[in-house]
Amino acid sequence: YLIPLSSSHYPVNQTTMHRPSLSACQLILRSFGRSGGNIVASRRFASSMNVRDALNSAMREEIERDPNVFLMGEEVAQYEGAYKVSKGLWKLMGDKRVIDTPITEMGFAGLAVGAAMAGLRPICEFMTFNFSMQAIDHVINSAAKTYYMSAGDVKVPIVFRGPNGAAAGVAAQHSQDFASWYSHCPGLKVVSPWNSEDARGLLKAAIRDNDPVVCLENEMMYGVSFEVSPECESKDFLIPIGKAKIEIPGNHISLISYGKFVGLCVEAAAELAKEGIQCEVLNLRTLRPLDEEAIVKSVMKTHHVVTVESCWPQCGMGAEIAARIMESQAFDYLDAPLTRMTGADVPMPYAQALEAAALPQVADIVRVVRRTLNRAAK
Amino acid sequence: MLSTRPYKLHKLESGPASEAQVTSDEARKYYRDMATVRRMETAAGNLYKEKAIRGFCHLYSGQEACCVGMEAVLDRNDPVITAYRAHGWTYTRGVPVKAVLSELTGRASGCAKGKGGSMHMYNHNFYGGNGIVGAQVPLGAGIAFAQKYREDKRVCVTLYGDGAANQGQVFEAFNMAKLWDLPCIFVCENNKYGMGTAVERAAASTAYYTRGDYIPGLWVDAMDVITVREATRFAKDWCLSGKGPILLEMETYRFSY
Repeated sequence: YLIPLSSSHYPVNQTTMHRPSLSACQLILRSFGRSGGNIVASRRFASSMNVRDALNSAMREEIERDPNVFLMGEEVAQYEGAYKVSKGLWKLMGDKRVIDTPITEMGFAGLAVGAAMAGLRPICEFMTFNFSMQAIDHVINSAAKTYYMSAGDVKVPIVFRGPNGAAAGVAAQHSQDFASWYSHCPGLKVVSPWNSEDARGLLKAAIRDNDPVVCLENEMMYGVSFEVSPECESKDFLIPIGKAKIEIPGNHISLISYGKFVGLCVEAAAELAKEGIQCEVLNLRTLRPLDEEAIVKSVMKTHHVVTVESCWPQCGMGAEIAARIMESQAFDYLDAPLTRMTGADVPMPYAQALEAAALPQVADIVRVVRRTLNRAAK
Repeated sequence: MLSTRPYKLHKLESGPASEAQVTSDEARKYYRDMATVRRMETAAGNLYKEKAIRGFCHLYSGQEACCVGMEAVLDRNDPVITAYRAHGWTYTRGVPVKAVLSELTGRASGCAKGKGGSMHMYNHNFYGGNGIVGAQVPLGAGIAFAQKYREDKRVCVTLYGDGAANQGQVFEAFNMAKLWDLPCIFVCENNKYGMGTAVERAAASTAYYTRGDYIPGLWVDAMDVITVREATRFAKDWCLSGKGPILLEMETYRFSY
């Protein structure tokens, strides 16, 4: 099904925007219908694309564009990708540009970093970021720190990408969200796309960036389709690293999130809009460097903030956002403390009901927003 | 003509030359380079005792024949990567003594502007200086990968110690290097001690030149600079003829921590 785009893409005219009783979200819903079944065609929208195809096309175009770019990882070539993200690429580009590795993350991540130091531009895929822990010394000590340690002599233009966070029933060792671990480290850039436009623009920007970039995707988003703008389809479509995006503007409360959980915030915002609560949904897009300006500006406008992530509570992304708000002029604009909605402080359980309970859900976000705004529970 | 010290072969039909031509200019250059490294390292050792150098200071004293002998065959287009006992290689890779000592004493005039220190010195086609034991081995395989990708007719020299030789990632690098025929000369500088531990107490097999298994190997008496030079010539020819990686064990000795 199709998810409505933010109102910034939707051609709403000025008079409707200023009607007091309707939020931007309600306008979108009225036009799109419940689940996008009756799409109002607009010449601004070129087509729809799922996140998998967005990543696939981004990689294909960048490999075609620059002879130094290549993809390496487990199952990326002949199997077409464990999650089919690199479907068709090996058939098109061949053994030199799309390379299957043995199941040896520490070895192939190190090899990829060495190749980057020597001037190539590898895309190193981790089948999931859980396996990046085997190779994390190379991500941090070999890639992230080298430009600094060499006083600018040695660049490491590598992209580490793959699915991050929980999937469905893959249990404790395969469900960790590494957003806070990687965004902790100077020398790395860390991006986390939500929708197809994010995926295309951020991955292309990451590949063209001369610094090591970690691109945290989400397996559950690969099959989800979004409408994309004509600009998105351009071979040079780039989203600037370090800039968040307001998916839905609102005046009452800021919902700050990244990756898959932006979608949950969008759904929660739609539900809350029915009772007149205008949520501003801020899609971080980049986790490092964090767009502090966008966060502060949003909180100064709405005076209330909830963060949503699947990292564990201690030292998660919400903790960092809370600290940044405290340290900024936005602190004086808060009418309530920040609530960080996070994964539960347990290794991810297997049973479906437990897994659902261990992650923020739309109903949870709605409840927390109401609580923050002191509305009675419905 | 000088004789080389005997080699030991692993999965090789024949080895390097048993005799080598050395001109007096070459001999003087090798001696000067080795003596310079020794004096630089001695100076560093004294600065360390005075606490002008902080943190770690791993000296190459005793191992000079290895870097000088290898550089006699390599040129500046052949990349080199090593671990943290790197000052000797830093010098032979073209960084002046003053820039090395300035870096060690944390000066902005140091080769890494004081930001790297003993273990993180770099130059053109010299990828350090790496602090994490064994990490440089997959990195070196990656540099060799890049050369093959670009069809450069070069070898990458990837050095590691007897301690690192037991690291899993070293074997992961061997596997990919052999699978993909990477032009990589793996060099184990066996100085008999991994940090403070003697080799027999750390390794089930101390025959490091055989531990590449399917990668042919050569044991080299690395206290003799000409023996090292001829082994390197053999190894470089091997890689450049498309036979894939090769492993050299340089048996040597170090006088310090």
